[in-house]
Amino acid sequence: MADGLTLETALPPDGTAAVEALGPVEALVAVTALNQARTAPAVVSAVAAGLARGFAGRKTAVLFVDGGSQDGTLEAVNQQASADAAVPVASARVSGRPGRGRAVLAALAAARHVGARAAGLVDAGLASITVEWIEPLLGPALNGDADYVSPSYSRALTEGTLTTNLLAPLVRSLFGKRFQEVLGGCAAVSSALLDALPPAEEWADEPTGQGAEMRVLGQALAGDHALVEVHLGRKEVDPGAAPADLAHTLVDAVGPLFRLMERHAGEWQDVRGSVPVPRRGPAGPGPRAAGDVRPDRMVRAFHLGLKDLLPLWEQAVTEETLGQLYPLGLLGPDDFRFQPSLWARVIADFAVAHHERRLPRDHLLRALTPLYLGRVAAFVLETQAASSPGAADALERVCLAFEAEKPALSARWR
Amino acid sequence: MQQQWSDIVLDAIRDVGQRILFATPRLLAALTLILLGWIVAALVRRVTVRVLAAADLDVRCARWGLTGVLGRGAHRPSPTELLGRLAYWAIFLVGLLMAVEALEMPGTRGAVGAVLAFLPHVIVAVLVVVGGWMLAQFLAQAVLIAAVNAQVAGASLLATAVRWLVLTVAAAVALTELGVAREMVLLVFGIAFGGAVLALSLAFGLGARELARQALESYLTRARQDPGEPVSHV
Repeated sequence: MADGLTLETALPPDGTAAVEALGPVEALVAVTALNQARTAPAVVSAVAAGLARGFAGRKTAVLFVDGGSQDGTLEAVNQQASADAAVPVASARVSGRPGRGRAVLAALAAARHVGARAAGLVDAGLASITVEWIEPLLGPALNGDADYVSPSYSRALTEGTLTTNLLAPLVRSLFGKRFQEVLGGCAAVSSALLDALPPAEEWADEPTGQGAEMRVLGQALAGDHALVEVHLGRKEVDPGAAPADLAHTLVDAVGPLFRLMERHAGEWQDVRGSVPVPRRGPAGPGPRAAGDVRPDRMVRAFHLGLKDLLPLWEQAVTEETLGQLYPLGLLGPDDFRFQPSLWARVIADFAVAHHERRLPRDHLLRALTPLYLGRVAAFVLETQAASSPGAADALERVCLAFEAEKPALSARWR
Repeated sequence: MQQQWSDIVLDAIRDVGQRILFATPRLLAALTLILLGWIVAALVRRVTVRVLAAADLDVRCARWGLTGVLGRGAHRPSPTELLGRLAYWAIFLVGLLMAVEALEMPGTRGAVGAVLAFLPHVIVAVLVVVGGWMLAQFLAQAVLIAAVNAQVAGASLLATAVRWLVLTVAAAVALTELGVAREMVLLVFGIAFGGAVLALSLAFGLGARELARQALESYLTRARQDPGEPVSHV
């Protein structure tokens, strides 16, 4: 217990006391939040009820960790938690600079501190979570079937496009594991994986965004831990929440993945091909077709990027890639095309540029935004008329393009 | 007459000879100082580059995001190379000044002391210009990316304006530090900056009042009616 994550470095004394008051716990589910007062109380209630129903007779608890909210999230949860008492609910707030990553880090440290055999991580914005999700999510980790349990959801092609067009294909090509979701809003880890996580001071570059979750996934993938995917249902995030700035989302989600590539370069460079992650429980339905979505605005964003951000893109991508991007500037919203192979090349170029620090990293990731929107516009157009199997094929084509790009990426990585 | 002529010629030759005899050691000393300055400068440059390379300065600068803002292109110097060149020229310049002092030419007496006394101001001014240039590059890049991502037309123009604004401020600060017509620089900068803002305000408020109203109306209407992206990204 001396090495690895320790609670004292992650939480202030009152938070540590709240966790210690829980005593030894078999399974701990941590709900982490940052300014999510609208959804956090309901998510905590669902988790507590799910634990009571799915693991009756076992010592379980819920820990709510606030990353430094300014909208009264912690107070709202505390008010609600005192009314419900299906399982013990503790709450804590991280000290210092606000950040979701710090909340996740504290949650992991707390799970280790109470000696949990399994720990769940749930984002307080996961509005569609139900009582029924908790047992399938936590069960495989608690029963020793898996060290990392990843969710899969029923989603339309127009939902989670960053996951389907970038995060999942890149993770699949790097580590050879086919996850449907990366940073899916919830996950479960075993005590073995908790013990393998590095000490808190090594997480300093992941204070905000989704870096901490990505780091846990990276440890699971690189450490050859047992992985499992479970289908949970339909994923919905808080519909009333203000839409996040897309460039900021890219920095928060893609940045940690690029850093993961640096951290575990030795583990992914020789991997070729991919295998499905073992599934527990029933498989969900395939993705729903995109429907009638106009990509005009996204194409306009791409054109504007091609016109104004070219000097920055020139520093990030190769001349060959640029040569293939130029003609896309002539395509209108109705005939816009951005092939998966070119997209995979662009992402590989950006990953290498990020690694070699050719631009300030925040600038580099933000400069990816118009390219990403261009790819999503093309993806929407490709899949508009597709049936459900056709939609699944479209997703598979993207993943195969990333796998095909992998040898070139490995060769360029120094 | 002939005697007088020969005296004058001989005096002239003797005088020139004495001058040459007087100047030759100084000239040799000056050449030696230039040569020594060059050798020491080259040595210091080599040592500086090696020490900075051993300290991983280029990697550290890249990590701090400084390399990207140093400029574009394959031939841009690395931070290590840049500092090596700076050390070389600083020492070579001191050697040159010592050589000039050794020549004991009229008007150059005390030149080295004066230049060395002024050197701290020059160093501060150079640092201000270099820092201002890097800040200008960084901010212009940030503004360009933010404006493009917000789909603002004329993003490049906005970024260029930010770059020149920061560079102008840096130049004004550097000139003030050098004491080059301090009051005039402040006055010119104040008048130019204030004038530009006033001119823009008048142009926007009077000359293009209708255009400004239409642009604002269009922006606000679009913001109100904008349904956002037709897809969810995460």
